[in-house]
Amino acid sequence: MRKAKILRLHIGERDLFNGKPLYEAIVKKCYDMNIAGATVFRGLEGYGETAEIHRHHLVTHDQPIIVVVVDAEERINELLPVVESMMDTGMIAVSDVDVIRVQRNVPANTDRK
Amino acid sequence: MLSKGPAKKVTIYVNEDSHHHLGTLYEAILTFLMHKGVAGATATRALAGFGAHREMHTPNIELLAFHLPIRIEFVESAQKVDELLPTLYDMMSDGLIEVQDTSVIKVAKKEKTVEPKLPHGEKRGPAKLIRVFLGEADRWNGEPLYDAIIKRLRMMDVSGATVYRGILGYGAKGHSHKQSFFHMSRDLPIMISIVESTDKVDAIRTAVENMLTDGLIVISDVEMIRLVQSTAGAANAKG
Repeated sequence: MRKAKILRLHIGERDLFNGKPLYEAIVKKCYDMNIAGATVFRGLEGYGETAEIHRHHLVTHDQPIIVVVVDAEERINELLPVVESMMDTGMIAVSDVDVIRVQRNVPANTDRK
Repeated sequence: MLSKGPAKKVTIYVNEDSHHHLGTLYEAILTFLMHKGVAGATATRALAGFGAHREMHTPNIELLAFHLPIRIEFVESAQKVDELLPTLYDMMSDGLIEVQDTSVIKVAKKEKTVEPKLPHGEKRGPAKLIRVFLGEADRWNGEPLYDAIIKRLRMMDVSGATVYRGILGYGAKGHSHKQSFFHMSRDLPIMISIVESTDKVDAIRTAVENMLTDGLIVISDVEMIRLVQSTAGAANAKG
């Protein structure tokens, strides 16, 4: 079991970064920075700073988005200022975690360090 | 009341026409067991058999079709079985009693009337949050891995687990999970989150670790406040 950090970014589905969805841009950024992994979840409903309810609508989608990143503390610290600069509004939460990486019967060369 | 875990299984072999006082022996045994509050007992009539008398009992031959074997089975806690055995020993005029160790996996009870639920203690205090990251296409013995994990956790009496499907992501495998309009990807990222008290975490961890082939388990400390399930029965018990 290794010590690591989990980073959660709470943003909106309609947030943009250079004309692209912000969550896609963040995942791309993580990938480019060689962060171990990033996962995007879409919430059903929520509200945030603007106290505007974000929920699924027939024509407009602005549901809450959470980006979860797990990596070593120093990697998260590297990533933090970068994503912070990309985000307009939103929330960032970081907590301590223990990590177990399970990998069996997988060719070793596909593993990105 | 029977609960999950180690228990004893008692099997009694009698003849259907063995008598006990005025009735048949198997009926007397069943009545006795019910009276003693045994969780359940089943009597089955055998198709054929022979016993200590070295006589074949079979329905195929009319002459021998009269005293067919009956087997009574019940499962109870070791303590209860201990309490019952002397009486059963005394009752048995002809036949065999056998006890074996067993373990109860599930005790399910369909209840029509609302019975006051056992107040399952309010859980509060430090706990662990376990997140398991895997892929939607991961399989375990032919079924989706997340399904299999949830079922296993339910069997382990874990208080709750939730499966989330991500809409985008990448992991250590290096491939991107993305759902696009034209290409319906069925390998989106999946996260299962479990909150459980610290003492159960190791068991959960091992169980999940053994089922995962490629994935990530993330454990963090959390403060848990679990609300007690309020059923009509529980409300009555309180009021």
